[in-house]
Amino acid sequence: MTLTLPSRAALQGLIVYAGFILIFLFFSVMLWDRGFLSAQNLTNIVLQTAPATVLAVGLVFVLAAGEIDLSFGAAVALAAIVAAMVMRAHPWPAGVLAGLATGMAVGLVNGAIVAYARLPSFLVTLATMGVVAGLARELSNLQSIPVTAEPFIAIFGGGKAFGIPSLVLWTVAALVIGHLVFRETRYGAHVLATGDNPRAALVSGIKVARLRLSVLVLSGFCAGLAGLLYSGRLQAARYTLGESDLMTVIAAVIVGGTALTGGRGTIPGALVGSLMMGMLSNGLILMGLSVSWQMIIKGLIVLAAVAVSLREPNR
Amino acid sequence: MTFATRNLLASLSVLALLGLPAAAQTVGPSGEAATPSAGITVDDAQAAELQGKGLKAALLWHDQADFVNAVTAGATDEFTRLGIEVVATTSAGFDSAKQLADVETTLALDPDIILSLPLDPVASAVAFKKASEAGVKLVFLSNLPADYKHPADYGAIVTDDLFQMGKQAADVLATAMGGKGKVGWIYHDAAYYVTNQRDNAFKTTIETSYPDMQIVAEAGISDPARAEEIANAMLLQNPDLGGIYVTWAGPAEGVLAALRANGNTTTKIVTLDLSEPIALDMVKGGNVAGIVADEAYELGRAMAAVGARAVLGIENPPFIVAPALSVTKDNVAEGWQTSLRKDAPASVLDALK
Repeated sequence: MTLTLPSRAALQGLIVYAGFILIFLFFSVMLWDRGFLSAQNLTNIVLQTAPATVLAVGLVFVLAAGEIDLSFGAAVALAAIVAAMVMRAHPWPAGVLAGLATGMAVGLVNGAIVAYARLPSFLVTLATMGVVAGLARELSNLQSIPVTAEPFIAIFGGGKAFGIPSLVLWTVAALVIGHLVFRETRYGAHVLATGDNPRAALVSGIKVARLRLSVLVLSGFCAGLAGLLYSGRLQAARYTLGESDLMTVIAAVIVGGTALTGGRGTIPGALVGSLMMGMLSNGLILMGLSVSWQMIIKGLIVLAAVAVSLREPNR
Repeated sequence: MTFATRNLLASLSVLALLGLPAAAQTVGPSGEAATPSAGITVDDAQAAELQGKGLKAALLWHDQADFVNAVTAGATDEFTRLGIEVVATTSAGFDSAKQLADVETTLALDPDIILSLPLDPVASAVAFKKASEAGVKLVFLSNLPADYKHPADYGAIVTDDLFQMGKQAADVLATAMGGKGKVGWIYHDAAYYVTNQRDNAFKTTIETSYPDMQIVAEAGISDPARAEEIANAMLLQNPDLGGIYVTWAGPAEGVLAALRANGNTTTKIVTLDLSEPIALDMVKGGNVAGIVADEAYELGRAMAAVGARAVLGIENPPFIVAPALSVTKDNVAEGWQTSLRKDAPASVLDALK
């Protein structure tokens, strides 16, 4: 029976791709005359999911290490607001640095408490989610802050390089770097080992506390980058940014094949999961369904996808 | 003028508007005079011209609510009469990034008309630019994206008679309190045109028209879930409040819960927008003195008519208002029909018997 285990796991890894193709084919047939397959619409799906995909990269590391981050949505808003406020008075690169630093600072606080006060990340990030969301509201006074620096908008929002939208380039960069680090470095192996069995990881010499800290800082960095992408795209920062991403990104990462319980993760799977979530929203709108039915059907499909990809192989 | 300056000026004009004490009547974002919605119609000859053209419309809302459903029903009925197909309906859940995505997604369907409530003056300006550049006729509910010009960028803003809503709320509360006593004012603590106008109109009316009534407590609210604790604090510091104004029905439910928990049967509540728990309390002779509603169905009808007229090249006034409606125990059944075009909830009708 030992031979069937890897094949079943491999099969499960492929299911997300099969599901993606199935949903794509379904919409292509149902919406063949309603613009779904137009280049513009397919580009839209990729652009609209770009910040969520970047967030998903960070979350794969966190989940694979056996932790969770519930504060990244709030960190997106705070990072975007800080970046926009800094850009009002200073050149735009200062805003970029401030935004990324804000995201990482949130991750650092989360990570320090999780790693050194040994509190569960679920509770820590649940609490910091409130703190960070409150800070974003307080700092912005519930107003949107316009972003007007043209180079920033081009680089993080609507611009293109070599004919490719900048949002796509950032997303690809995050995915490629994330995948290489996760699969090809010792750090990635340590993340998986820690998530799989922290005690064994500790015994084998992995600095588990430092590793836990690092994955949460990484997630904060991704939140900072996603905040920059949102504020570039909308040319404004607002305290609601990222709010709705929390559940979408967690679902995308899990549908993609990363285990909520740690020890298993995949960046390409997270990309496919994120695109699948975006494609579902897009296709269900184009089908002309009422908002309530869009929510019901999306929820059911996510449930089915999670049920298939999350089922652990028999041990 | 640089983009930055233009954006700043637009933001400032919106802020200036928000900062103003409520004018004596509802005015548009650039001070436009209000045109009553009843005059915005598409006659049979114009309807015949639209039929068979294969026109398409999309409804891109900010959220889901009874109000939105009624606006959708009004718009859909009018579009159906004119032979215009509604090809998409979305809800952004108050998320401006989702609204941008909804605009982009819907453009794949090549609509001729988009009806929407722009969530945020700044971010929405970017979102709807793509639609207006694609030649789509835009009709906005209540809010206007920064820097948009009429009639080049949009057909019209259609909204409630916001000043009248706030004023009528003051009148209803004054009637219930016999024109005298202490009042608590729970306003929406956010830069949001619709609620700011209504809240300020209530305050102005009490201050100018009812000399024996004083607003002695003010509290802002941004999260409706916190209404109960805010009301508790207000009642603790002002146990002799004769009435409380609450910015809309959601938080009013929390205020009602606070009054009930305190065993308070004397403090009156007035709020805006119809809600079953609030109406039920009113009908049962509880704390709620009245509700001021808008004619949501009429808003939707007028928005659809503006879009259709824009397609036909007929000029629309820039700022159109639908009437406000005071609902008390005496007219609750008719009020529900006029506002939402549906029967009042069974619980409310039963309690009336």
